[in-house]
Amino acid sequence: MSGRDYLGEFEHIIVLALLRLDDRAYGVTVRQEIEFRTNREVSIGAVYATLDRLETKGFVKSHRGDPTPERGGRSKRFFRVTAKGVAAVNRTQRALQRMTEGLDLIRTYS
Amino acid sequence: MTSQADFLQPPRPAVWLVNLFTSAEEAESIRGDLLEEYFHLMSKSGVAFARNWYWRQTVKTIAHLVGGWIPCRSLVDHCRRSRRIFTAEVRLRVARAGNICSSSQISGFRTSFQRLCILCDEWDCDRTRHRVDVRWVYRRLGGQEKGDGCYDDARSGPWRIGGSAMLAWVARTGDASSLWMLPWYFADSVAIVIGGAIVRTRRSAAMLRRSNA
Repeated sequence: MSGRDYLGEFEHIIVLALLRLDDRAYGVTVRQEIEFRTNREVSIGAVYATLDRLETKGFVKSHRGDPTPERGGRSKRFFRVTAKGVAAVNRTQRALQRMTEGLDLIRTYS
Repeated sequence: MTSQADFLQPPRPAVWLVNLFTSAEEAESIRGDLLEEYFHLMSKSGVAFARNWYWRQTVKTIAHLVGGWIPCRSLVDHCRRSRRIFTAEVRLRVARAGNICSSSQISGFRTSFQRLCILCDEWDCDRTRHRVDVRWVYRRLGGQEKGDGCYDDARSGPWRIGGSAMLAWVARTGDASSLWMLPWYFADSVAIVIGGAIVRTRRSAAMLRRSNA
């Protein structure tokens, strides 16, 4: 297994947001979900740059929705996590758990 | 004049910048997303807030799109060099505008300014000098010539005013020998357009490769 099979921090957050949103996941909802859950202002460019990277790696897939009037007649680009993406999240989660095992983070560093 | 309907739309320069830096397919989804949130924010928090938000998103989005192919290290180095130049200029302006320095202090500062210029690379150095030179021309056209050379820039305006002043100077005097300096004054605008075209082309090619794979 190579190091590339793990997700970076922001990649990890994005994939988790996609899993939470399920079939409602597109640029706006992903950005808002991350802002809501992490209290961190995220730009739409950062979201798309990361999603493009994840798509290149085969972790997510995208498809176009229908054009809507509130978007000036532009279509939404919906994203979905692939089986390979789910496996990558699990691997990353397990690696993080193993790394934090036995560390009393709250008591030691607060 | 800007109409009410225009004012309710996102800022045009920001929309233009997003289009400049994104491929057609990307622009469709990114602009659609920005517009959707813009109208939502406008109804919730007002036009000014929404326009401010749109600008912030545009700048950050472009930074991310560009950051994908410019090495981070070279960006950081360039920002540091620009900051050195900027700091030196601000100090000089404050000193001159407020008349808080004696002539000897200013001459000492010029030396440190030149020392700072030496720390920057040749390109930044030349550019800064040219900017200051054109401001001197601008002052001369305005009848405020002091005759003490190129660092007298207490009332300096943006570069574009300097460039326009240079053109006016050439038109008035017929002396076209300094026209070669013009690209320096409009270098930022030209660089943004060329940079946008390069980023868009590269991202379009990457998308094409991805869809072919």
